Amino acid sequence: MTPDDVMIIVIAGLLSTSCAVLGGFLVLRGQALLPDAVSHAVLPGIVLIFLLTGERASLWTVAGATAFGVLCVLGTDWLRRSGVVESDAALALVFPALFSLGILGISRFASGAHIDLDSAIYGDLTFAPLRTMSLFGADVPRSLVITAGATVAVVALVVTLWRPLQAASFDPAFAELAGLRGRLIGQVLLVAVAGLAVVAFDSVGAILVITFFVVPASTARLLTARLGPMLVVAAACGWVASIAGHGVAVSLDTSIPGTIGLTSGVLFVLALVLAPRRGLVARRRARP
Amino acid sequence: MSAIVTGTLQAGSLQAGPLGGWVQAGPLGGLLDALPLSYPDAVVVVGTAVVGFVAGLLGPLAVLRQRSMFGDAMSHGTLAGVAVAFLITGAKVPELLLLGAAVSATLAAFAMIALERVGRLHADAAIGVVLSVSLTLGIVLLTGISESGNAQQSGLDEYLLGQTAGMVERDVVVALALAGVAVAAILLGFRLLRSATFDPGFTAVAGVRTWVVDAASTGLLALAVVLGVRTVGAILMVALLVAPVVAARQLTTRLAALLPLSAVVGAVCGAAGGLLSGRAELPAGPVIVLLATAVAVLSVVLAPRRGVIARARSGRLRQGRMRQGRLRQERAR
Repeated sequence: MTPDDVMIIVIAGLLSTSCAVLGGFLVLRGQALLPDAVSHAVLPGIVLIFLLTGERASLWTVAGATAFGVLCVLGTDWLRRSGVVESDAALALVFPALFSLGILGISRFASGAHIDLDSAIYGDLTFAPLRTMSLFGADVPRSLVITAGATVAVVALVVTLWRPLQAASFDPAFAELAGLRGRLIGQVLLVAVAGLAVVAFDSVGAILVITFFVVPASTARLLTARLGPMLVVAAACGWVASIAGHGVAVSLDTSIPGTIGLTSGVLFVLALVLAPRRGLVARRRARP
Repeated sequence: MSAIVTGTLQAGSLQAGPLGGWVQAGPLGGLLDALPLSYPDAVVVVGTAVVGFVAGLLGPLAVLRQRSMFGDAMSHGTLAGVAVAFLITGAKVPELLLLGAAVSATLAAFAMIALERVGRLHADAAIGVVLSVSLTLGIVLLTGISESGNAQQSGLDEYLLGQTAGMVERDVVVALALAGVAVAAILLGFRLLRSATFDPGFTAVAGVRTWVVDAASTGLLALAVVLGVRTVGAILMVALLVAPVVAARQLTTRLAALLPLSAVVGAVCGAAGGLLSGRAELPAGPVIVLLATAVAVLSVVLAPRRGVIARARSGRLRQGRMRQGRLRQERAR
């Protein structure tokens, strides 16, 4: 394995860790589809910042994209609370509209620009080790710095807000009564998801964003019964998928994000069938 | 007529289709000539109108059962089917690619239902897992195909973002045939659909197996998805299923009125979007989706009785959540 291969695995693994930790809460709260919507909804933000500043990978990009991610979340919430549209329909209404704005922006004003839709969707994880920046005098891949920073921030956030997050995910009414500010915590979580989705979108593409948020967390949900272990198992699933998926991609010479996604899918199916208590085999046995 | 075709080709808004040479001999010649549009415009407008019509007509199957995002996972699921169909046939035969897309969209839908029922996952997690896995599978297959160097493969990735340029009369004929199937199925199954949507318990007690209803409505949804995915793309297809329903839902409380109204909204947005995008040389999918979303939002805000403004004015905003149940009570009336 070359250093570049190790770098790709580390970037994917770090990203899967942060996505799995936040994804665990989303899965428990029934909001597992939010990252999918947000990762599409950020496109007009990226395009707008490009049109205004000519940059496509700056802090401004992250800020603009996050703003549209939050807009998507707030728009969905407004539609849902207006009481006329169910929450799933509200989501399905908001994010395609924002994504459409982004595509129209690209095709109208920025068709010559290097906002490559393919790389945004398929991800260019393969070339991540080649785009470096200098940090303390050493050349380090940009994606590595960004994902490492994001992972540290996410883990710190979850550790700091552990009690209220836990309460708000399992028992929103209790959280509100106990003064734990359930709704505020929910919104903080959603903003964190939007920010992380943007970072992930930039380094590995939209496909892996969706996969990393939902699949490892759902796998862990089948294997564990407590929140803490669930998040750890979810992150572990992400690392296993990153290592195995990368190996498969190299030996078959195919898309690395694709095989990492498929590997996490395989892990999920294994857990679905074989999980000790909630798996299909165990449940069949338990039935007399 | 062929002069117009070449003229438009030079303008760059339409590519020559397989039938480009003998356009006037097509089975729809009369219908297309009757429209006050150039031939290529007429093909696109009729095509996108039919796509919008079918999506609007069948969208309620997903939206009213709180399965809106099913459409998203199904449309992402079509990619793998298209890729497999292409790998098997080695050529881009539109009908076979369509068939492949339909099979994989249906498989994706059944996988979601199975995860919910048998795997006891929440709906959102089931949809998320199926969406990710089927999308990554599609991407891996498409990457494999694009590296195989088969000259025919260019354009397969259009399925992700959609395209109307290149739509030919043959596509419109296929779309019209599928629309006929959809209308017939809805007319025949209306009573069953109504009771299964609003009172699943009663339907089950009345002796109709739940899986029969699930299978039928899933099959119909797959039909709508597959028809639309080429035009508006896998990512945006879900909006075409949902937006017309939301718009129509604000204006009526009767299912018998909702279905045609939603279909008409879909058809009008499709036709207008197809025409506008051709004139402005923009991709059709986003234009159609933005139009439909605008109609839906306007309807949510302005609708006479259920609209946000109307309810704020009558001071009954707080009862809004209770009113969501009104459509369900309609059956009991």
